[in-house]
Amino acid sequence: MVTLAGQSPEERYAQAGELYGSGDYSGAASLYRKLWEEGYRSRDLLYNAGNAFFKSGDNASAILFYERAKLLAPADEDIDYNLQIARSRITDRIESVPQLFFVRWFDFLALLTSTNTWAVAALVMFLAALVLALLFLTKARARGRLLSFWLAIAALLFSFLMILLALRNNNLVNHNKKAVITCSIVTGRSAPGETGNELFVLHSGTTVTVEQELGAFHEVRLPDGNKGWIRSDCMEKI
Amino acid sequence: MKRITTVLVFLLACLAAAAQEVTLTVDAPESAVAGERFRIIYTINSTDGQFTRPKFDPSFSVQGPQQSTNRNVQWINGDMKVVSSTTLIYYVTAGTPGTYTIPAAQFETKRVTVSSQEKQIVIYDGDSSQQATGRQQGQTSAAGDAPASGSEVSMRILLSDRDVYAGQPITGTLKLYTRINLSGIQELKLPDFKGFLKEDIETPPLRSLENEVIDGVQYGTGVIQRFVLYPQIAGEIRIEPAEMTALVQERTAARDPFFNDPFFDSFFSSVSTVPRKITTQPLTVRVRPLPEPRPADFHGAVGSFTIESSVSATDAKLNDAVTLTVTLKGSGNLNLAGEPVISFPQGIEKYDPKVTVRSSGISAGSKVFEYLLIPRNTGTFEIPPVSYSVFDPGQEKYVTLRTGGFTLNVTGTPGQEEGAAPVYIPGEDVKYIGQDIRFIRNGNGRLTTLSSPLVASLHYWLWFALALFIALLVLVIRKQQIRRNADKAGMRNRRAAKNARKRLSRATALLKSGKKEEVNAEVARALWGYLGDKLRIDQSDLTREKCYTALRERKADEEMITELDRILTATEYSQYAPVSEVESPAALCERAALLIGKLDNVLD
Repeated sequence: MVTLAGQSPEERYAQAGELYGSGDYSGAASLYRKLWEEGYRSRDLLYNAGNAFFKSGDNASAILFYERAKLLAPADEDIDYNLQIARSRITDRIESVPQLFFVRWFDFLALLTSTNTWAVAALVMFLAALVLALLFLTKARARGRLLSFWLAIAALLFSFLMILLALRNNNLVNHNKKAVITCSIVTGRSAPGETGNELFVLHSGTTVTVEQELGAFHEVRLPDGNKGWIRSDCMEKI
Repeated sequence: MKRITTVLVFLLACLAAAAQEVTLTVDAPESAVAGERFRIIYTINSTDGQFTRPKFDPSFSVQGPQQSTNRNVQWINGDMKVVSSTTLIYYVTAGTPGTYTIPAAQFETKRVTVSSQEKQIVIYDGDSSQQATGRQQGQTSAAGDAPASGSEVSMRILLSDRDVYAGQPITGTLKLYTRINLSGIQELKLPDFKGFLKEDIETPPLRSLENEVIDGVQYGTGVIQRFVLYPQIAGEIRIEPAEMTALVQERTAARDPFFNDPFFDSFFSSVSTVPRKITTQPLTVRVRPLPEPRPADFHGAVGSFTIESSVSATDAKLNDAVTLTVTLKGSGNLNLAGEPVISFPQGIEKYDPKVTVRSSGISAGSKVFEYLLIPRNTGTFEIPPVSYSVFDPGQEKYVTLRTGGFTLNVTGTPGQEEGAAPVYIPGEDVKYIGQDIRFIRNGNGRLTTLSSPLVASLHYWLWFALALFIALLVLVIRKQQIRRNADKAGMRNRRAAKNARKRLSRATALLKSGKKEEVNAEVARALWGYLGDKLRIDQSDLTREKCYTALRERKADEEMITELDRILTATEYSQYAPVSEVESPAALCERAALLIGKLDNVLD
């Protein structure tokens, strides 16, 4: 795998696609991963990275990248499909407690666009609310007075909602607490360190939620609600 | 006479001995263990002469020689033949491991000098010799394969390899070693070879023994049974001892020192057969597991193979059978090699393959998979290349074998053949034959770099505060403006009647000074000014209709409006008509004053 210095990220992205097409999946995966590590993001980049990892046999990384792709494009059907196939090939089968429907909907809405888009939209909406409020308060005898009042209230509520969505998006994308197990097998213990009682055993590819961090150990919550301490080098955060 | 004969015989014997060619042979083991004694035997077919011992390596400690002389006189077809031989045995112990050369020994008679061959001997370290021999092929009689010293009859299992991968075939030989005469073997009991799949190789029954010199000791050896083992599980696997009863011939009479021959032995002494139980040493075989991950197309074949495939026809008629033959050839566990998985295109009916194994030698040969295919649809079908992975223990890795693909052209008219059931009926569900992830997207990937989230920065929130602040500022300024405007209008309202009266009194003054033309205009100005201030209508917007509508809204009498209309018409009319034709300006002034008074009552 020769990567020339000074290649633009777009060229490297295209090169990775060609490698994938020619069957060099691990080469493609390492290129995609490098782009990701350099801070480049796009729905297709993450989706392709997931595919390359899946084809090269690294299911855990595939799931990791599909999960990341899902944060950029929650409604993408291909990502969902491939993630489902990758998940069907992992060892652990844990009954997950489904999220409440409104949390799901809210998260879906929050992920429809980026946090900054939501933030700017919220600001614009707030300005609109202020203008409408001024109209209502100053045009004493204007015919649209009542209308401007309700519009101002609506714009204010929308602005507030958009701020919440921007915050939620930021939390999900930049401070996601979910992590994917990367070690082929790892033991969950009742306390950080190697001394705690062994509670459960996880295999690579399982998605967990990090609850707290202490040194080299993270307390994780399994999809079924159980908690335990796991070595932090055995997982990668989404 | 008897004396002469004896002399003659002696002379003849001497002549015969002299005529015979002198040879000096050496018998030494090829290898030995350091510190253990082994023998070097020199045999000379003569008795007269000078033997010069070879210069042994100084690290060898040599004992001997033990010398023995043997002379046979044979009468064959009336000719007397004297066979004499001398045997010298040296007992040697080597101190340090290494490879040594035993130099030639010399034997000198009156006529010739002969030399023995030089011999190479490998001295092993006490421990490593075990490993070295363990790895050695069973058929070569290395030191490690020698039977336990002291046992007259023994049995060994010789394995071709004792460090193998699971599935890798091992050739095994059960071999008999004896230094004494046997009349037969009985009750052979082979171990059950737990953890192995055993396959017997046809072995001819043991009729005669072969001579083999191991470590300077001559043994009669014979192969009892040969077999192939296929390890099934990984780990250190122990092979239990094999058991057998050997029928040993034991002499009861004393050995005749002259006739040292089995034939004479059995002829002159009485022999009894004694059964003796012999067992082999237990062995362990290290079986290594096949490395993970195994390729998806690995079906258990371990060995070195090649693969090829062929089809009986590439142009086929509808519903006529076509045979795809895949041949796996090579050496390895052919019997355990599973069938390749071929995904045939839909529309071709496939039957389970017919499998035949053709053996050529020990665990070698070919395995043939014959797939019977019946095309049920017309068209061109691609029979995909067969991909078959095998584990090659020599390379210690998986090797993927591939064959070429085939294109099958199927012609014919559907439904022509009687009894051929239509495979595709209309309205059939789509067949899902596999599952895989979807392909990557190679579209114009618009890569964006990570941008810091706005919600995490203070600036973003300050924008909200700034907007709110500006809005409040605008509101306050605007409110003040409105209040000021409202004050102005109120003033004009309050002063409307007063202003109108001022104008009317000015009109009366104009009347007295005789400027009649200007009176009417002044009256009109007074009225319009009043209406504008009182009804809060801008002077520029003021029309009669607007005023009347506003007045009606304020509940003014129609009478008043009619009066207003009349006065306004009169003032306008008088400006363009001669004065005589209109009402007197004085009366108009009075009526206007009266109307304003009335309107003021209504509008306040």
